[in-house]
Amino acid sequence: MHVADGILSGPVLAVGFAGTVAAAAYTLRKVDLEDIPKISVITSAFFVASFIHIPIGVTSLHLILNGLVGIILGVRAFPAILLGIVLQAILFGHGGVSVIGVNALMLGGGALCAYGVWQLRHRITLFTLDQNKNSIAFAGLAGATGIITSGFVLALALFTTGEAFWAMAGVAFAVHIPLMLIEGAVAATCVAFLLRIKPEILAGYQAMPPKKDKPTPDGETRS
Amino acid sequence: MALDIDRYAHIESQLQTWDPRYKIFSLFLFIIIVALLKTLPLAVVALFLALTLLKLAQLPLYFVSQGLKWVVLFLLPFLLILPLSHPGDAAFRIFGLGFAWEGFRLAIIIIIKAISIVITSYAIFGTARFDVSMIALRHLKCPTVFVQMLLFTYRYLFVFMDEMKRMDTAMKARGFIKKADRATLTILGNFVGTLLVRSFERTERIYKAMLSKGYQGELHSLVVFQSNTADLQKMGVTLIITALLIGLDLGGPFSTAEQNWF
Repeated sequence: MHVADGILSGPVLAVGFAGTVAAAAYTLRKVDLEDIPKISVITSAFFVASFIHIPIGVTSLHLILNGLVGIILGVRAFPAILLGIVLQAILFGHGGVSVIGVNALMLGGGALCAYGVWQLRHRITLFTLDQNKNSIAFAGLAGATGIITSGFVLALALFTTGEAFWAMAGVAFAVHIPLMLIEGAVAATCVAFLLRIKPEILAGYQAMPPKKDKPTPDGETRS
Repeated sequence: MALDIDRYAHIESQLQTWDPRYKIFSLFLFIIIVALLKTLPLAVVALFLALTLLKLAQLPLYFVSQGLKWVVLFLLPFLLILPLSHPGDAAFRIFGLGFAWEGFRLAIIIIIKAISIVITSYAIFGTARFDVSMIALRHLKCPTVFVQMLLFTYRYLFVFMDEMKRMDTAMKARGFIKKADRATLTILGNFVGTLLVRSFERTERIYKAMLSKGYQGELHSLVVFQSNTADLQKMGVTLIITALLIGLDLGGPFSTAEQNWF
């Protein structure tokens, strides 16, 4: 879910732009030559994947997948999301030029939080699951985190815009709860698939199970 | 979904011939100001101005309707939720909730502003070749890395769109029907996974091909911008209108005491 133009107040829009510029500058700081085509091409795949609709009763909703972007690209998920938001504003005009900043913070922030949750799989094991199932469980949690963080930021943006939007903020947040379950399920099945087929795509992938007390030589996060 | 935003860039009109650097700068300011308007008459003026831009650019209405459809669908709930939840006096009651005209007015302003902005954004990016707009962005101090990424992403959207259509046809041929159940979610998860694996493998080939052609991270372009006085005049007119809009909105005759939602 992203917000349309014309709703949010000037200060909220300004905070959105300022935060996005700061976050993009920080996350693009260490971009290698190789990352330029890599981030872009994977962003195109995600952009196209977000056209997939799931029928729910009489309506349908489309996938957002920002949690999954975090799982795949790690910290570089932020520039990827920003690219997606800017292209959406250019190509479809909606979700839109004046709210690029707020939308990028909303979805990109969700992606970064999702990446944080996803990385916790190295430290925490849920219900004594084996490594593979633990990763899948964390992928589900990360997918859900991505959406619910976005829902929270959207609600916050509406809430701070004015008293007239307080009820709208509540509705907007509530809409994200079913969305969170769907995105969590899709992220989990997608990661289960990738773990079988091409695990090195995933951010923070380690070829060997990490040792309990000392990190592996190549334990640096890959993205 | 049609992705070629620049399919009407070849038309010779006032907007298509406007130097993209000045066009993007002036109309971006216009969009920001429209987003900040809070009075209904001026929102209507903004919509009229946006439609004028569309007319000048000779863009057909169905071209922008794709973007408009989504923004209207997104904003329709506002027409109901804002009046019913607006703090203050209620004109009448529905479902036990007070219906406030002030909330309704707010929703109408929002919808008109959103439509104006979508139309203006088509007038910016629908009137120049995509790569020319991107090079113009670079001239407007957008970082080169980001501009390169935008060009790449746009180019590969078409590739993956085709790829996705092929995969979709293959799934349908095997009898897949989307439903709201767990099996559908699993299959879609695998579908997205396949798309990602393919894109990942493709990036490696693309990068090697780029390196072998001497890529060093720079962006070279054959696009040369030449501005003339007409470009500056158009920018001047746009900026004056934009200043008038915000001036009238803030201090003008349309402001009333109740407009305190910012």
